Amino acid sequence: MLSEKHLPAFYALGALLLVVLPWILTAANSSYLISTATRLVIFAIGAVSLDLLIGYTGLVSFGHAAFFGVGAYVVGILAFHNFEDTTVLGFDGTLTGLIVLPLAIVISALFALIIGALALRTKGVYFIMITLSFGQMLFFLFVSLEAYGGDDGMMMFEGRNVLPVIDLNDRITFYYFCLAIFAAFFAFCHRLVRSKFGRVLAAIRQNEDRMTSIGIRPYSAKLLIFVIAGAGAGLAGALMANHTEFVSPGLTHWTKSGDLMIVVILGGIGTLIGPVMGAFVFLLLEEFLPIIFHELGMDLLKEHWRVVFGPILILIVLFAKTGLYGLIFRKNG
Amino acid sequence: MLDIKNLSKSFGALQATENVSLTVNEGTIHALIGPNGAGKTTLISQISGYLTPDSGSITFDGRDLLALPAHKRPHAGLVRSFQITSVIPEFTVRDNVGLVLQSLDNQVFQVFAKAGSDQAERAKADAILERTGLADEADSRAENLAHGQKRQLEIAMALAADPKLLLLDEPMAGMGVEESRNLTTLLTSLRGTTTMLLVEHDMDVVFSLADRISVLVYGKIIATDTPQAIRANRDVQEAYLGTHELHQEDSA
Repeated sequence: MLSEKHLPAFYALGALLLVVLPWILTAANSSYLISTATRLVIFAIGAVSLDLLIGYTGLVSFGHAAFFGVGAYVVGILAFHNFEDTTVLGFDGTLTGLIVLPLAIVISALFALIIGALALRTKGVYFIMITLSFGQMLFFLFVSLEAYGGDDGMMMFEGRNVLPVIDLNDRITFYYFCLAIFAAFFAFCHRLVRSKFGRVLAAIRQNEDRMTSIGIRPYSAKLLIFVIAGAGAGLAGALMANHTEFVSPGLTHWTKSGDLMIVVILGGIGTLIGPVMGAFVFLLLEEFLPIIFHELGMDLLKEHWRVVFGPILILIVLFAKTGLYGLIFRKNG
Repeated sequence: MLDIKNLSKSFGALQATENVSLTVNEGTIHALIGPNGAGKTTLISQISGYLTPDSGSITFDGRDLLALPAHKRPHAGLVRSFQITSVIPEFTVRDNVGLVLQSLDNQVFQVFAKAGSDQAERAKADAILERTGLADEADSRAENLAHGQKRQLEIAMALAADPKLLLLDEPMAGMGVEESRNLTTLLTSLRGTTTMLLVEHDMDVVFSLADRISVLVYGKIIATDTPQAIRANRDVQEAYLGTHELHQEDSA
């Protein structure tokens, strides 16, 4: 087991691995896996943003995929109108990344502001249920958008967003683009949880009732972090829409919120890097369990690989209190 | 400085605060005593904003306190401590105090300023820990402190807010003799600069510190007077000190 002193080295090694990954995969003749790696990096952004809520503030949000979906739909809807040459709310559709991506962040932050302002008036189980409800509300909202494919969602027929210099339609370039955004977001969160504001969040998690008496309104602090986390998820959603060039209500389904929660808990809440590892293991199992069972000739399990997947998650969470992070690192002090 | 007029609060059939009027003068230490369940903590909670009274008014420093949200009251100089210790368990002692300093400096939303590298805050926190006898424990986690030390930290957090009026809810509860004496000395040193409303069961402490004493029984103030006068007050003796003691004094 490593001590937390080794964290910087662990970060560096992880970063190096992610940077050289495309070369390794190409050399191993498995460059189709670059797409999986891209998904991993995008998924990790969503997981890290949820960890800000669950791990650092003690807010168990069960509707985080909603913001993921909002970010994705901003990209999808603008691409759709660009293709159709029509307008949405008086604006032309566009594929211009410098407009679309910031807009996706701002609009998901706005949704988080509205949902958070209401949901944060509740606590505990009620907060879990109300975030779940809001998530499902958005899911059914997207289902009802017949113009945008309703249930089936919509394709981005003209490909990914367009940026100056960077060609996002190139598979490897897109991977690095997502990796860079992930790195920036991770660094931002790393800084945030160690900031003075981060200290307030930790205090709220541990003893919320005491805050009022020292002049802090927990509601405001929780709302700000809820908006930041929502914006992070929206960013991840916008990248995912670009990645798959396809947007559907399925992105916001409550099971996706559940996946994000599983990843955070599996990796270790309140550690940031834990959820990244959680995303890694989650996607790896999801990708390879069916293949492994197929190779073993166990076709029933290949079909129902989640039957094996579930117990593996339960075992890890049972035996490592802080998830994968706790398996690897011993807490200082 | 603090002016409470006709304050009432009931929980169902229980009248916890009944038509209470009370004035705390600037620079004084005002003690609030009364038997268990008299409504002392309920009164403190209404002044600090944790509870909203049903009727009546509270004026603090010339402003209508009830119009001020609870979390703004510490910024106006009104700070309370808790009868049941309430600290941030996983924080160090210094961070507990640092968090209060941060809040009062309006730095709650500083997303980039690193916590723990603010030297000015650290120096201020250490000075407060020095005054409250916790200097040696600055780097200990609050949850690992002995009970008496947690009580001291509770006071340190209240003092860190630099209060004009300090509401102390049984600060000595659970403290050892030595710690209790040290705290009495500390509170004495604040006399004149910090106004205090002190709820306390330890009568030695009350009579040695208080300039004025109010006696609360079943939600009602039955007397407000100087310590000497309170000691001699028959109603108080009967209601609070008990007939047993009254009997003793009669036979003495």
